[in-house]
Amino acid sequence: MDRVRRRKKISLEDLLVDGVIYLLGLIILFVTVYPFLYVLIISFNEGVDASLGGIYWWPRKFTLENYEQFFNDSKWLVGLGVTVLRTVAGTLIGVLFTTLVAYGLSFQNLAGRKLYMTIIVISMYFSGGIIPYYTLLKELHLIDTFFVYVIPGALNTFFLMVGVSFFGDIPGSLRESAKMDGASELTVFRKIILPISTPFLATLTLFIGVGHWNNWYDSAFFVKTKELRTLSYLMMEVINKSMVSSGAGSATAQTASATTTLSIQTAAMVVAVAPILCVYPFLQKYFVTGIMIGSVKE
Amino acid sequence: MKKRETWGKEFRKQLPLQIFVLSGIVYLLIFNFIPMFGIIMGFKDYDIVMGVEGIFTSEWVGLKYFREFVNDYNFANLVKNTVGISLLKLIFTFPIPIIFAVMLNEMKCLRFKKLVQTCSYLPHFISWVIISGISFQFLSSGGIINTLLMSLGLIGQPIGFLTDPDLYWGFAVLSDVWKEMGWWTIVFLAAIVGVSQDLYEAAQIDGAGRLQRIWHITLPCIKPTIVVVLILALGNLFGGGLSGSNFEQSYLMGNSMNKETSQIIQTYVFEVGLAQGRYAYATAVGLIQSAISLVLIFSSNFFSKKVSGMGLF
Repeated sequence: MDRVRRRKKISLEDLLVDGVIYLLGLIILFVTVYPFLYVLIISFNEGVDASLGGIYWWPRKFTLENYEQFFNDSKWLVGLGVTVLRTVAGTLIGVLFTTLVAYGLSFQNLAGRKLYMTIIVISMYFSGGIIPYYTLLKELHLIDTFFVYVIPGALNTFFLMVGVSFFGDIPGSLRESAKMDGASELTVFRKIILPISTPFLATLTLFIGVGHWNNWYDSAFFVKTKELRTLSYLMMEVINKSMVSSGAGSATAQTASATTTLSIQTAAMVVAVAPILCVYPFLQKYFVTGIMIGSVKE
Repeated sequence: MKKRETWGKEFRKQLPLQIFVLSGIVYLLIFNFIPMFGIIMGFKDYDIVMGVEGIFTSEWVGLKYFREFVNDYNFANLVKNTVGISLLKLIFTFPIPIIFAVMLNEMKCLRFKKLVQTCSYLPHFISWVIISGISFQFLSSGGIINTLLMSLGLIGQPIGFLTDPDLYWGFAVLSDVWKEMGWWTIVFLAAIVGVSQDLYEAAQIDGAGRLQRIWHITLPCIKPTIVVVLILALGNLFGGGLSGSNFEQSYLMGNSMNKETSQIIQTYVFEVGLAQGRYAYATAVGLIQSAISLVLIFSSNFFSKKVSGMGLF
């Protein structure tokens, strides 16, 4: 009798706990996904009509005009082009540079290693702040050039440390045997180390790539030329303009069309999020390792 | 002398590796160390027209700019916003991922768990620019939330979520929780998965219920992870805790109407430095914040070592 009652009590608690967690899970799911869904819906709706509100689940006046306007506007196209270019160039340079330096540092017997590591750790925790940094970029003539997107962030100290511990775990016998056969350091790196480093390289590529794709502040603070502005910066501009006017309803309508600056903005947002959704499955596969190495390891 | 010889020999033997590493070190010296010397600008009567030499040749003014900042009419407000938003973020963005991780761990339907988790960390990869765009679509006076509330007759006037100074702090904390909750859950969930199943079975035999098991097994077992993440969050307290989002949020979501509560020291540095061109003053203000942050990193590390024997360095 006693036993039965206890079991019943447990199952009641179980039921309650399950109810709460599944309900909360559903709420979290909705709250996370719906904002993206909503932007997608609005991007397929006529802009002037959307500004009247009342659209929740489905476009009311379906149109592709927002996307047509986006892809016909040289401002947006140039922004998209610059963003693609900086992402590709920046990722290539960043991955190559970080990997090579990390590989060199992973040798415990490297002459001067202690000094090098000290320099890296100091750069991780200390910085001169934004104003001295800006003066430096100015002095190097990087301000207002495309290179300001790819050069200043080319060596990420955080991933450098991750790389040092990753390459350090590769057994030394592997490279020793190849060197015995007369292979140069670079050949060993290219033929032996790189092929077995896919997890690290993939993590690095994805994170650096997403970072470049999303970056807006270097475009905002270090670049003045209109043709060099990134997609993120252009979106920011639209929001800033709309923010000071009284709201979505007062968004300026484009001449002779049903789109508004805000409805084109939604198309731009979809274009900006789409690539991230595409690499998301790959990101997921690798980032758990990435974040674990970074945050829990000393 | 002999030691130097062997060092040189070693160096030459490792020449290709040394070239890789040295290129990185030279890079760091240029992009990280040179700006550190720029800090002296904050103590000098520096003007941008003087160029880089001016940093060294201009006149020393001591703490003039520091005093000017402390006496600025904005000072109290800036400090209040910086500290207030940071503390609120710590209080909310730190425990929520732990609760969420425990919750996910209790879900028995694995497909649902995976679905919720996968979706929850998507916002981490989306830039604050897009988040501010989404916020505008939802929270502006013509946005979906205001129109919905008005059509239901719950409010007569649209609520200025993005413009009302009283609402900015809440908005900052909520949007940060929304964006980063799932991401930090990964760390805690990984720790929970590492907890031995035997402990749970033993507790179950002893008659411990679900909540008791969570309280007496799960949470104590992931305490080391909680402590490490807490140090990380405390070290970057004024940057915005775990996600370091204070600057981006304040810069993107702050506007002339909510400036009173949205402007923080970092955005102030930008305004006076890059927009108004007062480099020396802005450097001094930035330096105050960096100094406080460094003290925070070292002291949180120190206390954590004392209390739990764990630290970052």
